[in-house]
Amino acid sequence: MRSLGDDQAAEADAERWPVERLAAWQLDRLCEVIDFARKETPFYRRLWSEHDLTARKLERLEDLKHFPITTKEDLLRGGSADPTPGEGPVGFSTRGTSGKPLVVWLSAEEEEVYVRPTMRGFRWAGLKKGMTALLTSPVWHRLAACEAHAVARIGGRCAFFWGSILNPRHVESFLRTLDEVRPEFVTTTAPFLFWLVRHLESAGNSHAGALRNVAAIVVVGLPLTPRLREHLCQRLEVGDIFERGGTQEGAALDECAVHSAPHVHEDVCYLEVVDPQGRPVPAGRRGNLVVTKLASAGSIFVRYNTGDIAAFVPGRCPCGSSFRRLKIYGRPESSVEVAGKTIAAYDVRLCLEEDQTLVGRNLLLVREGVQSPQRLLVAVEGAGLNTEELERLLCDRLGLPGAKIMWLGDIRVRWGFREVLDRRELRSMGLNDSRENRR
Amino acid sequence: MSLAGAGSAASLQDVRLVIDVPDGRLLFGCGDLDLWAEHLVWCYELLGVKRGATIAVQDFGTSPLAFLGSALLMPHLNQGVAERLGGKFICLDATADRVALTPFVLTQLEIDLFVVRAEVVGLLGDACRKAAFEFAEARTRTVVAMDVFEPVPAAMASWRRLLLSESAMLIAPECEWCGCFHLRAGLYRLEDGAIRNLRLKSAQNRPLNDHYVIVREPCAKGPEDLRIRRAGEPCRKWSR
Repeated sequence: MRSLGDDQAAEADAERWPVERLAAWQLDRLCEVIDFARKETPFYRRLWSEHDLTARKLERLEDLKHFPITTKEDLLRGGSADPTPGEGPVGFSTRGTSGKPLVVWLSAEEEEVYVRPTMRGFRWAGLKKGMTALLTSPVWHRLAACEAHAVARIGGRCAFFWGSILNPRHVESFLRTLDEVRPEFVTTTAPFLFWLVRHLESAGNSHAGALRNVAAIVVVGLPLTPRLREHLCQRLEVGDIFERGGTQEGAALDECAVHSAPHVHEDVCYLEVVDPQGRPVPAGRRGNLVVTKLASAGSIFVRYNTGDIAAFVPGRCPCGSSFRRLKIYGRPESSVEVAGKTIAAYDVRLCLEEDQTLVGRNLLLVREGVQSPQRLLVAVEGAGLNTEELERLLCDRLGLPGAKIMWLGDIRVRWGFREVLDRRELRSMGLNDSRENRR
Repeated sequence: MSLAGAGSAASLQDVRLVIDVPDGRLLFGCGDLDLWAEHLVWCYELLGVKRGATIAVQDFGTSPLAFLGSALLMPHLNQGVAERLGGKFICLDATADRVALTPFVLTQLEIDLFVVRAEVVGLLGDACRKAAFEFAEARTRTVVAMDVFEPVPAAMASWRRLLLSESAMLIAPECEWCGCFHLRAGLYRLEDGAIRNLRLKSAQNRPLNDHYVIVREPCAKGPEDLRIRRAGEPCRKWSR
């Protein structure tokens, strides 16, 4: 593998490279990865041999489309546990929110490749030498492991709170660290940040201004609408909030200060958005996110369908970066099919937040248990208001034949990665049809 | 931020890592972590782990068992457990959602040593039953990591034990050879009924309650170590 360290000076400004230079760089890396996978990874060797790709070379980036798209199920079935040389000593488990978890491995070489874009993203978000960063645990995610190293290399101090970002009960522990360490920079998940807002609201003034010292928070896990970002900044009294994205399989994205959508770190990963037939779709159209890691180290992923629903943002960002922007809207567990369309919780939130009083209320999409229902059913926290108007807005904006909003009253919905529930689960929330109608 | 007793760090500027733990805070300067990674490897070796082992830990990410797992996880750590053993490491978060996934993760891996935080042992047992996963069949050596004050989880009576008290940075293994817990010489000392960490200033003393007694006879695996065993319980010798 050719180390990115060989081109460190050039790579420092990879985001400013002309498109042709970036494409040439990606093609070189893709060729290396495919050669490596063919030689060293039994799974890909078998798969590509079945598709008569044993000797296929890449002449252009577009040639990658000849290689089959793989899924987690393929990897679990096809022997992802087969060791690959250089796969590395540290394993991470995916969340398993859409089935069984997958274990991916990180090597020192791969981490070296990924720490630099992490530094780039953190600099975009304002991290500077001498700052203290309160970080998510590095064992949580492959990208989180790179975060602590990125902070250290920039010259910052790393702080960690006790507990887990996956447990709302640990918000108090997070606040304690925040109060005493006074970090200027924070990384966490969006659900954890919402738990924090709720905790602060219920705690009254006991933690007033807890985040006033924080210049920026970088969040992962849920796509933020513009109004939700403003809401969080105001409630938490922080300078700015940046979205970071990425997958255990190698996608890496960070938002610049323009906040139009996260930029793909295209010097370390090659991302595609494809339709259900696996064909790339143009910028602006949604499809499934497919990841190829541009490093022949760690677990190898070539054209891996992450299950995320995403779209490239057309045009170039005003910040001047040549890296494309990609918005990840959700996953199967945060979207429903209605009238043949995939509707993500993000889409519904974007519509409903046109009413300012609904910003910050959590919602759940309800899966109705019938094939392709013609009506979108949404459960929204709080008391009902302008119901008919909002339902019309949902139909108009999302192009749906019908929409119904259920108001949850004082029932609180826990913010999480899962934003969909089955209709029968409503009962466990104390809701049934009659109550639904009453509200 | 209070700096009282920051590792080897002499000033605020020297503190590179602030790690909050239950009832305390650990402060580390550059180079402080390697001593503890080396110690954790020593602990695992006393628990019977060999070079090249794959170790899985079910604990929170800010537990020393987790953050000392590899240099890839923590800056300012030159060699973590995985690098020192030439093996592999995976940490599985100790929250309930993640514990439920553990049996599925373990079926993908050949784990030599699996260390579980005592407070989630019950959850893990439930998850394994649901998934029909048997550790005995997986040939995994299992260890429960428990604080000095914690009772031994009844369901895991046959598991090996590792004393873990984060705020004291106390990690003491149940020796495979003598069956007692070794408080490693040079790292810990018993003072006024409490275990004192000699190498990390930010560590707190850990009172040793009357559930433990001191064992006087030396062990060949650590003749200088202070050894303790649970009162009323014979030393459990695993191999000779």
